[in-house]
Amino acid sequence: MGTMAGGVTSIGSGELVIAALLMLAVGFASYRMKLGMAKDIVASTIRLFLQLLALGFVLRWVFGNQTWWLVLLILLFMIASAAQIASTRVTKAPSGLEPAMFLSLFITGLTMTLAVTGLILRVQPWYGARVVIPIAGMILGNSMSAMAVALDRLFADMDSRVDEILALTALGATALEAAQPSIRSSIRAGLIPTLASMAAAGVVSIPGMMTGQILAGADPFGAAKYQIVVLLMISASTTVCNMLAVRLTYRKRFAPEGFFIEAGMRDPEEGRRRGFWRRFGKRSNSEA
Amino acid sequence: MAVDVRQEGRIVTIFDGVSLRLEAGEIVDLVGPSGSGKTTLLRVLARLHSRKAGTLLLRGVSDNDIDPISWRLTVLLVPQKPVTVPGTVRDNLLLPWTLKARAGKAKPSDDELAQLLAFVKLDDVGLARDSNQLSVGQVARVALCRSFLTRPDVLLLDEVDAALDAESADAVAAVVARLARDGTACVRVRHRPPDGLATRRLRLAAGVLSEEAL
Repeated sequence: MGTMAGGVTSIGSGELVIAALLMLAVGFASYRMKLGMAKDIVASTIRLFLQLLALGFVLRWVFGNQTWWLVLLILLFMIASAAQIASTRVTKAPSGLEPAMFLSLFITGLTMTLAVTGLILRVQPWYGARVVIPIAGMILGNSMSAMAVALDRLFADMDSRVDEILALTALGATALEAAQPSIRSSIRAGLIPTLASMAAAGVVSIPGMMTGQILAGADPFGAAKYQIVVLLMISASTTVCNMLAVRLTYRKRFAPEGFFIEAGMRDPEEGRRRGFWRRFGKRSNSEA
Repeated sequence: MAVDVRQEGRIVTIFDGVSLRLEAGEIVDLVGPSGSGKTTLLRVLARLHSRKAGTLLLRGVSDNDIDPISWRLTVLLVPQKPVTVPGTVRDNLLLPWTLKARAGKAKPSDDELAQLLAFVKLDDVGLARDSNQLSVGQVARVALCRSFLTRPDVLLLDEVDAALDAESADAVAAVVARLARDGTACVRVRHRPPDGLATRRLRLAAGVLSEEAL
């Protein structure tokens, strides 16, 4: 059963069972409205429990046994997973973007995480897992989503500007000059959600991290200052990551001679080869 | 020269063993059924399309020894669909000089631009006019003027007069004639009836390029 400590209720297994009962409402809706989602609801609920409890267990162990190489190894695993997930979210793009996505997330993730934990939060030791891992998680999660949006936008925008790109290259534009308007619009598209969440913070929504800190018993004013750092760090990271990713990838749609590879010149199999998780997803769909 | 394209995903050789030679100041009309590869041939000449085999020579120098951008400054393609970039008519005419390849080169004065606009009967369209207020025929003429101003050695026109009224088409023809007089070699893909400007006519059909009587 739950115990009260300093006004904060700690959650025991009994409380978790009660929370799980909330999903009965979702199951009831699925049954009554014939949504046909019973399997998904059960699977998602079980996954939620397993994944987050496993994460808590692993983090508890890591916090107790932290060494600099273990923390870096975990960061590397997080970066690789983020790159993999981002690559499945980018459709209509040339194949072979994964190395560029990994590199963008790697550079942004490491430099931004260490800058925030070292210069602003002054974590001791510098690899203090209790701070470094959650901060890296926020940076990578947001950069990953923003990068997927930006890359999707980049290649869609270039496709819609195919005539303009041909006219520009015919006049002697480099691939970069011909792609520039699309590069700009993609970075803009990646930045908009972050700026919107900054504008809404505190007025429309209490940001998730701040909510968590307040629920865990922290002083709201302290939590607010923490949240400001986090939102600034996220907008800087997403922008840096998008600029890297877009600059590292736009050239894939241009031939070595500098002309744009139009839809008609592409391998129709393009993109179908991409992504371990996509293949994995397809297989599990066909089994269902 | 040989060129492969993709048709419905399959790779097809549209022509093989095609060769042509252009002399300064001549105007060559390129005709042939649609889908025979006229547009692709122009693009290959401007190095805006890959080719399977063959060499391009410019005044005896192989394309291997000329970087693609310098090549395109000399061998200029005017694509089938004319486009303007956001901005004024002046911005559009001076677009080539905003590119790195022509950085620092002298650009035409407003007087020259206005004279050229008058020459293509666009005097009622001022240099300060916003480009998205132009009609299709006006856009085509602005796009051609932009290419004219760069004074290329070879001008490749891909059906630039296809969607134009008679007046705009005449203006386009006059610009081409003026460039040819100054020594530019012009190749025109055309579907309109002959206008008497061409010095030669080539037909591309079933992968074969042949000379045709005018």
